[in-house]
Amino acid sequence: MKSVILTLAVLAALGLAGAAAVVGFGLYNVSAAAGHLPGVSFVLHTTFRNSVALRAPPEEEVPPLDDPDLVALGAGHYATACAGCHGVPGAARSATVRAMVPEPPAITEAVAHWQPNELHWIVENGVKMSGMPAWPARNRKDEVWSVVAYLEALKTGTTPEMPSTRLAGEAYCRSCHGEVGGPVPRLDIQTPDYLEAQLGAYLSGERPSGIMAQAASLVPEERFASLAEAFSAGTAAPVDEAPREGPGAELAWRGTRAVPACIACHGTASEAAAPGRKGPRLFGQSRVFLATQLRLWRDGTLSHDRLMSAAAAELTEEDIDALSRYFSATGQ
Amino acid sequence: MLAGAVVLWLFVNGAFYFMSRIRPGRFDQTYAPHILIGGGIILPVVILSALLVWGLGILTDPRRPGDGLVVRVTGEQWWWRVEYWPEGATEPIISANEIRLPAGQRAEIHLTSDKVIHSFWIPALGGKMDMFPGRDTMISLAPEKVGTYRGQCAEFCGASHAWMAFSAVVMEPEAFDSWLEAEAEDAVEPAGDAALRGRQVFLSEGCGACHAVRGTEAVGQVGPDLTHVGSRQTLGAGRMALTLEDLTTWISHSEALKPEVKMPAYDLAPDRLDDLARYLEGLK
Repeated sequence: MKSVILTLAVLAALGLAGAAAVVGFGLYNVSAAAGHLPGVSFVLHTTFRNSVALRAPPEEEVPPLDDPDLVALGAGHYATACAGCHGVPGAARSATVRAMVPEPPAITEAVAHWQPNELHWIVENGVKMSGMPAWPARNRKDEVWSVVAYLEALKTGTTPEMPSTRLAGEAYCRSCHGEVGGPVPRLDIQTPDYLEAQLGAYLSGERPSGIMAQAASLVPEERFASLAEAFSAGTAAPVDEAPREGPGAELAWRGTRAVPACIACHGTASEAAAPGRKGPRLFGQSRVFLATQLRLWRDGTLSHDRLMSAAAAELTEEDIDALSRYFSATGQ
Repeated sequence: MLAGAVVLWLFVNGAFYFMSRIRPGRFDQTYAPHILIGGGIILPVVILSALLVWGLGILTDPRRPGDGLVVRVTGEQWWWRVEYWPEGATEPIISANEIRLPAGQRAEIHLTSDKVIHSFWIPALGGKMDMFPGRDTMISLAPEKVGTYRGQCAEFCGASHAWMAFSAVVMEPEAFDSWLEAEAEDAVEPAGDAALRGRQVFLSEGCGACHAVRGTEAVGQVGPDLTHVGSRQTLGAGRMALTLEDLTTWISHSEALKPEVKMPAYDLAPDRLDDLARYLEGLK
């Protein structure tokens, strides 16, 4: 018995010394050209597939993905964030990308094997040691679904035309803002100061958004002010009398014992983005965007303004629905 | 009542005197059981029952449907939402964190709560009464002496339970009537430049999302109504005095002064903070 233990201890020590030598003297060859030893690729890939299958959200959580705005937003993000490695459908990928280990699959081929819930997990979490990055913002599953919507549309061949991957600056911004509705907000109704501050907050991650962090990182920070100026065109028609009847209006103007009145900080419809107001203008904003943002505030994902965090804390789903309908219906 | 007591006293002491002094010695065994049962059980039962019926009959019912003032108080975390319903009123006069009552008159306090159980207690004026979410309870008070009494939440209700207090102000009936009339009015116009600027600060900082100042565009309902906040005796539901200095301290440090309070502490420039405090202090 004693000799068995002794033998095992000696073997363990030799093993440790061997491992230390491999790490310490650089004996393992990390060359991508040399590739993996036989069988390793199979083990890694099988681990990857099973890990995704185990962790993907249940299929019931997949929202409707055929909304054209959602698909278009996903396409716009894909154009600058994903196309570099996974390519654009119908076009060849660069020789350099194809020399990566592991080689990123061309997108049409990559999506063919996965269900939407699995694609969501992969896009949100990324894959370690494969070059596939995680979504740049935490708790933004809503944004990830837009990319999944685009990928699902790819499977059925119903994708919209993708914005050019070479767009830059204002042209890139405008490929979504102004073109796409739904989850993409209107910017023309806001003040330049507000828009500039948001660009900074997106870039720093203070306001978490994977899509906008990516977009803001493509523009030099010095240009934020001029971009904000360009988008805050003040084109929104001022609305003199927003209706003050109905559940959404009542909540917006008077609030309840649990919910503060939105108007007090966000201003009335006729004051188009009044400079004295604390919050962004809401009248005329996209319904889907408003509803999504309110949920993110309520759930604590957005927390860069203490007043808004407190204001949204007790919103119910009915409140959010009523408010987003009310504000989006006026001031278009 | 007194006569009955005297008769009973004379009877008991008379019997004692008779047994010990006038006719000491063994008592006749044939009468003993009758005297014990009759005098020890039947007589007291009859007398006490009669007294009970009579006594209940003359007891005033503190819960009888009242005439006169109704004050509806809702327990919030951690303050008091107060509504005055004078006789015949169709809508309430809204106030907060202070309860005023006319001396020598009965007032009904209707109690309820928003989220958790609180307890309404003005030790100098009456007993405690719990306040339950979704249920109404009632206590009636008829304070006699003019003065200011402290009220306090008497049921643990969260982090700032100890800071959930209020003043109960008992006034001469005429003074109370004119006070209530003033309380029903809209807020007074700010007097002076600082207060005018303060109103602008109040509105542009979004205070009106949670607080109402009647007569302005501030109509929020989350926090206490501030229409006449300047006329109250305390600030932050009994937390501080209502002075300029305490107002600025409260606005800039509410979360430190009252743990977990909903009102965020405001980081305002000193001159704007001062203007705001002057505006609020002027809301008499």
